[in-house]
Amino acid sequence: MINSDLQALVTTLEMAALTTLILLIIGTPLAWYLAKMTSRFKVIIEAVVALPLVLPPTVLGFYLLIAFSPEYLPGQLWQQTTGQQLAFSFSAIVIGSVLYSLPFVVQPLQKAFEQLGDSLLEAGALLGAGPIDRFFSIVLPLTKASFITAASLGFAHTVGEFGVILMIGGNIPGETRVLSIALFDHVEAFDYARAHLLAISLLIGSMVLLAAIYWLNLPKRNNNKNLNQVRSIK
Amino acid sequence: MMMSNAKLNKVPAGDCPQLDINIRVSYQQFELAINLPIPLKGITGIFGHSASGKSTLLRAIAGLEKTLIGDITLTSDGVADKALVSKTLVNSEQGYYLKPEARQIGLVFQNSRLFGHLSVLGNLEFSVKRCKNRQLDLNEVIELTELTTLLEHQVNQLSGGQQQRVALARAILAEPKLLLLDEPLSALDQHSKTQLLKMMLNIQKKLNLPMLYVSHSLDELQQVCDTLLVLAKGKVVNFGNIHQIIHQLNNFDDPTLIHQQTSLSLPIKQFNNGHGLAVLALNAEQDIYLTSDKAFENQTQLRCFILASDISIALTEPSNSSIVNHLFGTIKQISHRKNKVLLTINCGSQEFFVTISAFSQQKLSLNSRQQVYLQFKASAVRTFIH
Repeated sequence: MINSDLQALVTTLEMAALTTLILLIIGTPLAWYLAKMTSRFKVIIEAVVALPLVLPPTVLGFYLLIAFSPEYLPGQLWQQTTGQQLAFSFSAIVIGSVLYSLPFVVQPLQKAFEQLGDSLLEAGALLGAGPIDRFFSIVLPLTKASFITAASLGFAHTVGEFGVILMIGGNIPGETRVLSIALFDHVEAFDYARAHLLAISLLIGSMVLLAAIYWLNLPKRNNNKNLNQVRSIK
Repeated sequence: MMMSNAKLNKVPAGDCPQLDINIRVSYQQFELAINLPIPLKGITGIFGHSASGKSTLLRAIAGLEKTLIGDITLTSDGVADKALVSKTLVNSEQGYYLKPEARQIGLVFQNSRLFGHLSVLGNLEFSVKRCKNRQLDLNEVIELTELTTLLEHQVNQLSGGQQQRVALARAILAEPKLLLLDEPLSALDQHSKTQLLKMMLNIQKKLNLPMLYVSHSLDELQQVCDTLLVLAKGKVVNFGNIHQIIHQLNNFDDPTLIHQQTSLSLPIKQFNNGHGLAVLALNAEQDIYLTSDKAFENQTQLRCFILASDISIALTEPSNSSIVNHLFGTIKQISHRKNKVLLTINCGSQEFFVTISAFSQQKLSLNSRQQVYLQFKASAVRTFIH
């Protein structure tokens, strides 16, 4: 691999790792809230979370580009607090990725929390465990596989992202130039050899990651350990 | 939690642990309305049809029912001294609601609700770790619930009976002031039921832990409860000594609720009369014979019941009969039911219940205050093996 491609790989991994971390931190309470929610507004929130699944990435990217520009409030606030422009920055592609990959993290977690139900949590409460304690001692160990699934899907989906990044990140080496963009560049320059190298690595990497998730979720593997896990990946 | 100190009040000495309930829980099709002080002594049974509100009542006490109106106060032993302390669990008027984790109330569910990611020991340690002011020894509880050989097992490899024993041990190890049991035996086979009932009775006595035991099976409750609370359609129908309540239920004539019977706790006079029969003292003059069992030997008192349909009536003292029990009594009440007649008969201070056919009643033309003989075989006296 050539230096600029290596740099793109590092940027991609950094972006995907940071995005996954943020998604787990905000996605977990959101999934919990949705799983326990009984209000009729639940479907609306669910629809908003699922929107990136069906929306062309360029639509999301277009609106984010406008929001991130210094003329609009989010972009303005960002510039005032950090002193830097938000659009076409590493931060911009991380925020974009968080929104773009949100359903891939929230949906498996929500399903796992719904399947887990309240019965074990009630049992835990009656044994003296408070809400935070219950989450870490009961919910987390019993839905571990779903957390791994959610994190892996979020990560893989972020790595494979193109449209949103192109719109809000552009193609700045070391900042917003990720693998998918680099690949596109090579194709445009008719450098098929380098394009092949990137394409095949992305293909194999994704394949290995997905196979690992499915292996982790094999019913046999979990049968004896965790009864209430989500066994199917969306 | 913050307010819990303010809600603790010392109670005058001489009172006993008690649960004061004054609540209303409403659903679309159902309302539970209960206003009752329940003295917490031994095991109190809560009995009724399904959808009578039994489980809802337990969930309200445990703090799992969040929409209730009213208040519940638990009076129990304090931690430092043994003086009684009363603690408000919920008071909707003051907007006060103590979370389940702060109530010190245990609940054993019908489905054991064990933590599948933990071993048997892990489930028990879950309680131990969260228990403040620990007094119980983990090993003692493991022995009481006969879990010694199962500690390393995964909980979903256990049988139903074993799972319930783990659930029971786990609940006890949280050292609650009150243990609630919601149909804990309903999914078990007969052998496991008997074993668990024995265990519950033993634990109740050893740890002096009051229990509220919900069941739709009168048979189970009769074996372990001293007091019985009967619910129907969300209201208290009867509450009191278990034998008296069972006798009151006889008059309901509801075969889905109860098999009409005489329910007794009598002192054992003789374990074996040399012919395989045990002798119970009914009163100074009269005895009751029943088939003896090895298990009677450790006991001084025996619980038993005689189905009303197993007793027959004679006007003269039967002498040439294989039936060993004949008691002399006075008819107190005659109630006619279709083709059957329910007789309430006083033998000394003990009431007996007898059903005879309307045909026999016509033949004998029995009257109130008439003196009659009751006959029943030794094998008609049913016991619970403890």
